[in-house]
Amino acid sequence: MSILSLKDVQKNFGETEIIRGLSLDVAAGEKHAIIGPNGAGKSTLFHLISGRYKVSSGSIKFKQEEIQNKPPYEIARLGLARSFQVTNIFPRMNVFENIRCALFWSKGYRYSFWHLLGRQSELNDEAMHVLEQIGLKDKALYPSGELGYAQQRALELGIAIASGAELIMLDEPVAGMSHSEAQSSVELIRKITEGKTLIMVEHDMNIVFDVADRISVLVYGEIIATDKPENIRANLKVQEAYLGEVITSA
Amino acid sequence: MLLLKKSSIWIAFLIALVTLPQLFDSILAVSILNQMTIAIVFALSYNMLLGQGGMLSFGHAVYFGLGGFLSVHALLLIEYETMVFSILWIPLIGGLFGLLAGLFIGSFSTHKAGTVFAMISLGIGELIAASSLIFSSFFGGEAGISGDRTFGPLFFGIDFAQNLEIYYLAAFWVFLATLFMYLFTQTPAGRMANAVRDNPERAEFIGYSARRVRFISFCAAGMFAGIAGGLFALNYEFITEENLNAATSGRVLLMAYIGGLGYFIGPIIGAVVLTLMNSLLSNYSELWMLYLGIMFLLTVMFLPRGFAGFIMMHQVAWVRGNMKMLIKPYTLTGVPAALFALCTIALIEMSHTEEEVFHFLGLELNTASSATWIITTVIAAAAFYAVRKSLHQLSEAWDTANAIPKEERA
Repeated sequence: MSILSLKDVQKNFGETEIIRGLSLDVAAGEKHAIIGPNGAGKSTLFHLISGRYKVSSGSIKFKQEEIQNKPPYEIARLGLARSFQVTNIFPRMNVFENIRCALFWSKGYRYSFWHLLGRQSELNDEAMHVLEQIGLKDKALYPSGELGYAQQRALELGIAIASGAELIMLDEPVAGMSHSEAQSSVELIRKITEGKTLIMVEHDMNIVFDVADRISVLVYGEIIATDKPENIRANLKVQEAYLGEVITSA
Repeated sequence: MLLLKKSSIWIAFLIALVTLPQLFDSILAVSILNQMTIAIVFALSYNMLLGQGGMLSFGHAVYFGLGGFLSVHALLLIEYETMVFSILWIPLIGGLFGLLAGLFIGSFSTHKAGTVFAMISLGIGELIAASSLIFSSFFGGEAGISGDRTFGPLFFGIDFAQNLEIYYLAAFWVFLATLFMYLFTQTPAGRMANAVRDNPERAEFIGYSARRVRFISFCAAGMFAGIAGGLFALNYEFITEENLNAATSGRVLLMAYIGGLGYFIGPIIGAVVLTLMNSLLSNYSELWMLYLGIMFLLTVMFLPRGFAGFIMMHQVAWVRGNMKMLIKPYTLTGVPAALFALCTIALIEMSHTEEEVFHFLGLELNTASSATWIITTVIAAAAFYAVRKSLHQLSEAWDTANAIPKEERA
């Protein structure tokens, strides 16, 4: 059963085609990685699915519901959460508030101006629980804009997963991290996406082959292969287009 | 804020509202207190937009003014016995119309924050101010409209003819409005206003329409500005185009900014300081607007987080018990700085006055003699030099007072 299904999705910016007739099915509970050279359209694809960009044509279904061209907040409410390649937090609020805000909608607070937050102990406990998971509990009252890079990335991840979304999309979650930081982030990602569907864009092949159940290779706006990691490794077309140059250059 | 429990701050605020007119009971003082409480509500409502919601408005007086005009019309309805209710409820009428105006204007102006929002607010402000001169049957043209607050059913035998009586009526609403504006910041809608201010894009990916969040803050800000307008109408019993034009919008921006946008208490401080300057300084100098402008510039340049931010800067030193370390360096810089300010004021006032003898701080300065000018300038220059020289030790003392002790370093 696929939780996310893209059919013939196209995206043009003016004359330029970025995504050219892309189809993809992601099964519920699957850990799916998207790899491809720079400029292949990975981030654009993320933006299309999460509603930041409108598709030029084609359809995107999430849990059987068409979501193409819905605004991001409606897609998020259906249970699709994402993180960003460039850290995208609420910098003037403290760490705890960042997470608590990410919880509001899924906890049913909507646009309420009649609930006093100090009294919502279940919500506050839940926010602390998320902080504990991402290892920022002792930084709860710290201004998030002043955190270090790795901690901001952890918070970025925390905002994405707080709502308990069924589908989590992570855009280069460990980019710019040291080896040990990346390693602990991978552990964290594995832990918090347990039983959920994960779609991840990542450049680090070790992490991709380590985490993913299936991998899609995106080249010039088209998926040239979707398969299990071992088959992707063996796929000649992929090696030619992408992996070959990575392996030889590394 | 860490040092006091929140409820005790509210009790202190209530006590201050109740006792101030007893301590300062002259006609002038009560009138200033009335202006101050109105300004507090207005400035706090402005901060819901700019400080908490990230919406820079150049037209917030529209909601204040419309609330005020409707309130005066309500006073007239009471006077002509078209409607019968106590004037106690007038601020709610102001609030209701502030809210309605917010609902209407917010429906198209909150689509974007930033420049787009600022330009729309400016345009709407000009539009309403211009219309108010054209539609004179409602707005009364340049003369405005006036009412009389002594009609309608008495409230426990009080007819609110006295300024002190109207002060206590206003204080009641001011306390309620301040409390509700504070409570708003403690709700999901209030917190999301901060989130949208910080990062509207990310707010959309956690399920919130940035526009809807802004719209809610905008309507609330309009409502509380309308309540302030209603209080104004009750206090002065008249209202004119001046109360909804760009000058009034600019003044509320100054209050909120000088007080400190990032803190709930900031606009309260700003409202108090500016009202005092407005009503006291203007008795002493025709140039008080110039000083206000200079103060605004200095605040923007040196205290970007306003007076409240300046006070809160000392939290660390206070908690560590290091405030004593700062007394001497503050005096060493503060005294020459004050002297420099006074000399500068003297020079400005002497250039402005047409009298031969200028009275300043008990001194009689002869404006015709060049010696006066030279001496004042020399003192100013010396004081400025002393400030420059002493800044170094101030910044060193500051660092020591705020340093993390060795045993706390991880």
